[in-house]
Amino acid sequence: MADRAAPDFRGLAIRDLVIASGASPITQAIAPGEIVGLAGLDGHGQELFLKMLAGLAPPLGGSIELALSGASRKITGFRKAVASGIAYLPRDRRANGIFPTQSVLDNFAVSTLSRDTRLGLISPAARKARYDIYREKLSIAAPRPDAPITTLSGGNQQKVLLARALALEPAILLLNDPTRGVDVATRHVLYHVFRGLAADGMGLVILSSEIEEILLLCQRVLVFRENEVAADISGDAMNTDSVISAMFGRAA
Amino acid sequence: MSQISRLLSLGRSIGFAVVLLVVLLAVNLILSPGRFQPGSWGALVGLAAPLIGAAIASTPVILAGRGGIDISVGPLMGFVNAMVIQVLFLKAGISSPLLLVPAALLIGALIGAANGFLATIVRIQPIVATLGTYLILTGVTLTILPAPIGPAPVWLKALAGPWSMLPLALMFIAWWLVRRTPYYDQLMAVGSDDRAAYTAGVDVTRVRFIAYVMTGIFGGCAGLMLTALIGSADPNIGPTYTLIAIAAVALGGVSLAGGRGGVAGAAIGAIDIFLLQSVLTTFNVSTFVLQIAYGAILVLAVMLTALQERLAMRGR
Repeated sequence: MADRAAPDFRGLAIRDLVIASGASPITQAIAPGEIVGLAGLDGHGQELFLKMLAGLAPPLGGSIELALSGASRKITGFRKAVASGIAYLPRDRRANGIFPTQSVLDNFAVSTLSRDTRLGLISPAARKARYDIYREKLSIAAPRPDAPITTLSGGNQQKVLLARALALEPAILLLNDPTRGVDVATRHVLYHVFRGLAADGMGLVILSSEIEEILLLCQRVLVFRENEVAADISGDAMNTDSVISAMFGRAA
Repeated sequence: MSQISRLLSLGRSIGFAVVLLVVLLAVNLILSPGRFQPGSWGALVGLAAPLIGAAIASTPVILAGRGGIDISVGPLMGFVNAMVIQVLFLKAGISSPLLLVPAALLIGALIGAANGFLATIVRIQPIVATLGTYLILTGVTLTILPAPIGPAPVWLKALAGPWSMLPLALMFIAWWLVRRTPYYDQLMAVGSDDRAAYTAGVDVTRVRFIAYVMTGIFGGCAGLMLTALIGSADPNIGPTYTLIAIAAVALGGVSLAGGRGGVAGAAIGAIDIFLLQSVLTTFNVSTFVLQIAYGAILVLAVMLTALQERLAMRGR
């Protein structure tokens, strides 16, 4: 929640990260402007990996370091991660994302409350103005920002959550199955937004349960099997067959 | 437009309490017009104030969710009552409001912090933690004040008469300011869904801890209002406020699951109970029947609120 100028992102370095006991360590680097996909059969470590990057789960070994212009910060916990410029969009929107009793505007602002204050008190106008920027950017269809968030469609709720994460002006955005339960039209809006963010120099890590989505969106995919990176596929080698065979542990 | 919709949504959440308020007010005006004349408003508000204060005090921790509750609000009021009159006024000879009021609020804040420590940092279930405080405070109050004693400073008694609106107004202004701080949004987010709040970067423990401290401060204020009303110190009155205050909060549409409702609803719920009491006493009904009536109204109100919500969900 710390106020900071948008940092100049230089990359995320993951060194010898162990996500489960007995699994071999993972060393990876995520560059600015890169969209990296995480694939794998459910429960093979890709979600754990993403949560460790977000600081939500403690790693069993190794380190995660965020390189910013002039400084590099080790990620040791969730709060540290948020303060350093890592934003995380949770998977289960209903259980971990939205506040059903709160308005669209409150749901948007909850991570960045201190930015709307004037002399310690919240300025509703400033909050509304900040929300409008993202509403425009993400084309959120919410007729009234003061209505409860549960009045929106699933896709629009997801956009509000994305707006909440983007309002942190993160250096790197971690997305846990962001298009789950989202309609096709909204998906394409989200894809467009993701590409735009990457073009602006943000790093994106997207966990997706749909291979087509990863192929469409990512330059590189890490396929997880038994809590290890079974394959790191990029470029022309990236296709449905190669990803699926890596998922099932067959030689490509 | 947004003002109207906000009023409407406020009306929806505390709808039944408002309807009950209007009905009870009308019945009271017909039955005993003399009691409700403008000249006696000061005393009337003073009579209702401790319950309204107790209901307001109970609200922040309930809003914070996950079983958040403070049943020590009543004994805290009794403890403040005993401390202010017996220890500070009669024994130490302090009578200035500039010292007694901060002292009462400080006592409240400290007890609230103790409750908050137990419930959020040690993580004892709130109802058990505050039950402990309930018993301790009741015992300590009886130790320092075995029997009722008086009097109270003159300025304090005036707070139950002509100036009875003042402490209530200050509580509302304090809450209004809280509502405009970032803290309020965090409180409602935590009450609505604490896991989501954590994932959104909210310091859940800190938010809940502050809610307990706020409840304590408001409880200290309610203790002063109680002292003003009885004009003395009585070790046995305070604890009786706890359960009635929680009834008032529930009646006022504050969800005991957290994240829904507010201080205004709790206050209206408290006024409802006060007016109900007033109607029934005009009929010379015994206090036992009074209890039955509170219970019946409470169950009815909570049922109607649940029904209303279910219908609203179906409408979507």
